[in-house]
Amino acid sequence: MYEEGSNGHAGEVLAFAGVSVASAGMHVTGVSGVSFRLEKGGLALVHVEEGAEHTPLADLASGLLAPDAGRVCFRGEDWVEMGARRQAEQRGCIRRVFQHYGWVANLDIVENICLSESHHTGRTLADIASEAEVLARRFGLDGIPAGRPTRVHPMTLRKLEWVRAFMGTPALVILERPLLGAPKGGAEQLLEAVCEVREREAAVLWITDEDRVWACRELASPARYRMNGETFGPA
Amino acid sequence: MIPVGLRPSCVVEPADNWLEAQGDDRYLHAMQFVGTIGRGTIEKLRRLRYLMAVLWAVGRLGAAPDSWRRTTRAVLARQIVFTGVDALGFVIFVAFLAGISIVVQAQVWMGRLGQLELLGPLLVTVVVREVGPLLVNFIVIGRSATATAAELAGMRVRHEVSVLDAQGVDPMVYLVMPRALGMAVCVLCLTVVFALVSFATGYMCGALLGTGPEDPAIFARSVLRGFVPGDFVNLGAKTILPGLMTSIIACVEGLSIEGVATDIPQAVTRTVVRSTLSLLILSVIVSVLTYV
Repeated sequence: MYEEGSNGHAGEVLAFAGVSVASAGMHVTGVSGVSFRLEKGGLALVHVEEGAEHTPLADLASGLLAPDAGRVCFRGEDWVEMGARRQAEQRGCIRRVFQHYGWVANLDIVENICLSESHHTGRTLADIASEAEVLARRFGLDGIPAGRPTRVHPMTLRKLEWVRAFMGTPALVILERPLLGAPKGGAEQLLEAVCEVREREAAVLWITDEDRVWACRELASPARYRMNGETFGPA
Repeated sequence: MIPVGLRPSCVVEPADNWLEAQGDDRYLHAMQFVGTIGRGTIEKLRRLRYLMAVLWAVGRLGAAPDSWRRTTRAVLARQIVFTGVDALGFVIFVAFLAGISIVVQAQVWMGRLGQLELLGPLLVTVVVREVGPLLVNFIVIGRSATATAAELAGMRVRHEVSVLDAQGVDPMVYLVMPRALGMAVCVLCLTVVFALVSFATGYMCGALLGTGPEDPAIFARSVLRGFVPGDFVNLGAKTILPGLMTSIIACVEGLSIEGVATDIPQAVTRTVVRSTLSLLILSVIVSVLTYV
């Protein structure tokens, strides 16, 4: 259902070209001169400094934040030049693990997890829910807990965010410090899921401050970048 | 009086003509007053223009079939359950009380004046044209608009609107449009229920107390005779328009806070004040346009 834009490289999913944005609002740091490309099935690991970990990179990548300078293109289309409807359509094939709380409090967990798929695709709800169940078990959970997110333990919620991030057939998965608050021993399951989603041609942008992720050998040929303050560059 | 040579340069010389200076002062104050009124008026007009823009967007999105995805339909259904179904008991109770006080009194006084044939038109005028829509709108403002404003303001505080946006779920389509349309439909339906319950209660009380006709058919015919085609337009306009405006005001106030929890009560208060004001203004305008 997702059409790719006519501009840009055929396999290109995400492209930052000389992107700068000033620090504002909830973002701890701004970014300056960010340029990189992410192809289908590609992985970009961005190492951020501890304490300045919440960069606007994820918001820029999903078009929620317009850059002060430069261009961010998703599947060949500049976010700034898309209309609101097109932006919503394109974001429908981006999955994200939010660094901070990423849930809608007045929806049940299962509704939260299935929201994007049920909004953007014609799949049956039973099909979507059963995929969520399978993913939840894969991440070591007993299934999708009933009730609202506020009634679920934060560690379980973190794993449930992983479930949501790998639902359906995403074009881009943004992982914003996904291991933050996750139970020990969960990293392997996440790494496996990342490898698998890449095999399905999804690009992955992984923002981390953890050395174990940075040094991980299981992640095949990642492009590595490092952020020092606002400066972004290849590691 | 300080000699001229000893005066510091910062001392302001009094005007030679103090009357002229007083006049200047008054002119300045008058202009400041006019400026304050002007600024306030411009601000209100800007807010009104913004509300109209949201109203237009709601109408446009509501008419687009692509907006009605199952997630949006679910929000609409929830809004109808919350504003309409859940409020039904309270509206019926208020209508029951209103039926006793309004319809029975009307029957008593019309009977005493020997004008029972005017009972229908009088009841339609009081219950259907004015009291019903107003009371139901007040109930919806107090019960649903406040909850909507608080809910959306809470979502803003917890950055949940960004969470929706990041998943490609347009907040305008998912949060605002179904709430606005759901609330408008509910106000209309609740008003119809209100009028029916009021009439039924009034008839039963009148029959029990012996102040009204015992035959329900006579009572019903009397009420039906009171209806003119304009009443249906009036009823629709006095329920759907304020319902839409109330929900849009609630959504706008809720979503416009800057992410601080202490702003939530203020957003709710503004919602009540502005919704009530818009309800009264719209009621007057519709009455004037329909019946004058």
